[in-house]
Amino acid sequence: MKGGIILVQMLRERRRGFLWWSLGIAALAVITAASYPAVKDAGRGFDEFMESLPEGVVQMMGAADGITTPAGYLNSQFYANVFPIVLLIFGIAAGTWSIAGAEREGTLEPLLANPVPRWRVAVERLAGVTLLLAMLTLIASALLVMLRDPFELSELSVGNLAAAGVGVFLLALLFACLAFAVGAATGSKGLAIATGAGLATATYVVFGLSSLVEFFENLRWSSPWYWFLSPSPLTEGWTFQAIGAPLLVLVPVAVIGIAIFHRRDLT
Amino acid sequence: MNHDASLIDVRGLTKRFGTLTAVKDLDLRVGPGEVYGLLGPNGAGKTTTIRALLGFINPTEGSVGLLGGHARDLAIRRRVGYVGGDVTLDRNLRAENLLTWYADLRGGLPWKNIEQLCERLGLDPSRKIGQLSTGNRRKVAIVQAFMHDPDVLVLDEPTAGLDPLLQRDVLDLVRSRRSAGAGVLYSSHTLPEVEDIADRIGILRRGVLVREDTIASLRDVARQRLELRFAHDIPPGLLDGVEGISDVVVDGRVARVVVDGSVAALVDRVAGHQVERIVSHDDDLEDVFFHYYQHDEDGDAT
Repeated sequence: MKGGIILVQMLRERRRGFLWWSLGIAALAVITAASYPAVKDAGRGFDEFMESLPEGVVQMMGAADGITTPAGYLNSQFYANVFPIVLLIFGIAAGTWSIAGAEREGTLEPLLANPVPRWRVAVERLAGVTLLLAMLTLIASALLVMLRDPFELSELSVGNLAAAGVGVFLLALLFACLAFAVGAATGSKGLAIATGAGLATATYVVFGLSSLVEFFENLRWSSPWYWFLSPSPLTEGWTFQAIGAPLLVLVPVAVIGIAIFHRRDLT
Repeated sequence: MNHDASLIDVRGLTKRFGTLTAVKDLDLRVGPGEVYGLLGPNGAGKTTTIRALLGFINPTEGSVGLLGGHARDLAIRRRVGYVGGDVTLDRNLRAENLLTWYADLRGGLPWKNIEQLCERLGLDPSRKIGQLSTGNRRKVAIVQAFMHDPDVLVLDEPTAGLDPLLQRDVLDLVRSRRSAGAGVLYSSHTLPEVEDIADRIGILRRGVLVREDTIASLRDVARQRLELRFAHDIPPGLLDGVEGISDVVVDGRVARVVVDGSVAALVDRVAGHQVERIVSHDDDLEDVFFHYYQHDEDGDAT
């Protein structure tokens, strides 16, 4: 059997849905970029307001650099919330569907009656999730790069925008991978979504509260949001903790999930 | 039968889910050119046996042999066709997309073959699977199971939801694979569905194979519930002492009888008495093989 048949089929089936996600995320990127000049003009008021907020709230908003600098603005309005959350919803849904969702809807068994190994179905579908997430990130990042000049964001370098794009992609892929792996290992769609979305939320809270509550500050090393946002790749570029750390977690998680799926009873 | 030649070779299969034993110490063999009817009420373990055979679940004990190997081996799965119990195929795909996708996974098959099968079953492959009726969806499953001329067919109640004409078409397909030397495991919960086609039949109850025999000997002992409607009131005593009849209820022009084995004696007796209709109620396997089930019915009636 030639490789890639399952991946190609997955991409083909998701064409139309993906088009809508692309349009949505493109619109978010354009609106966010286009709003910057207005925010900058209103700048002083905003910064005074932000300074009056507790430090933790500011950090949770991703606004540690203030919200009127290009990096601070994009972090607080895009990279620390809207963008990863949209990617997470897409990634966790697609990751869950790959094995556990297909198993629940009943389409996995007929597929596996064909001469195709289980690990290959899992690997190709995870590759599909990765590819689609990468394309969504790429669309938004490319738009931000193109819109830097018209909307006064040009002090951001292409390299830093690329690093932020890869960072947010890996953040979303990490939780998508968790949902995928838990679903592959257990066949439970509910458990897969709960793990992916639950851990994404929990680690977000840990990161957000880490500058307010000492207890969480001691835990923040474990939050992928902390890896990605502190310091932000928009100002610091390619850092190990934004790029390397998520990979160190997601690769073994995916491998273990696939290994268990390969031999377990289907449900 | 020579065991080495078995296409399907299940030995001592036991499958437990937690505390539930779905299949217990099952032995089952199907040779080339043989159709094996696996009968049993719902929940008897037919689907569990089949899912173990296809490698979807692992046996707790025993082995499930297929074509001299195991379904995990891709070379073996390439030669197997499978129709699952509750057919769910990707609803958003057109039937033709699903069929060509599956054909590609099998290394590519000529579209002409697939098209011929669709035509034979009266399936329009350009429709979306989600928009098809239950019967038509089942046809898609049947086409994908037969399109590569498999050497082993594993069919889990393949004609549930199909009308009798289509049932006949499917049975014809099974017959032509049998003539080509394929072994077929055909599960069903009714005897009439498989009695025209099965060479041997196994009856599964609560995970145990309670009887295995040829269709001819099973027919001798199978029960039939018949309802005879006469044109006039039934003469008293007409149905007394007929060979094979074990229970008679007469109600005006209608007689309800239970016959063990052949109905020949009954038909002889009522000939000339203007029987207008004979209705059979032997769809329920529990009734048909009542006496096999009866002895272990005590205390845990279903």
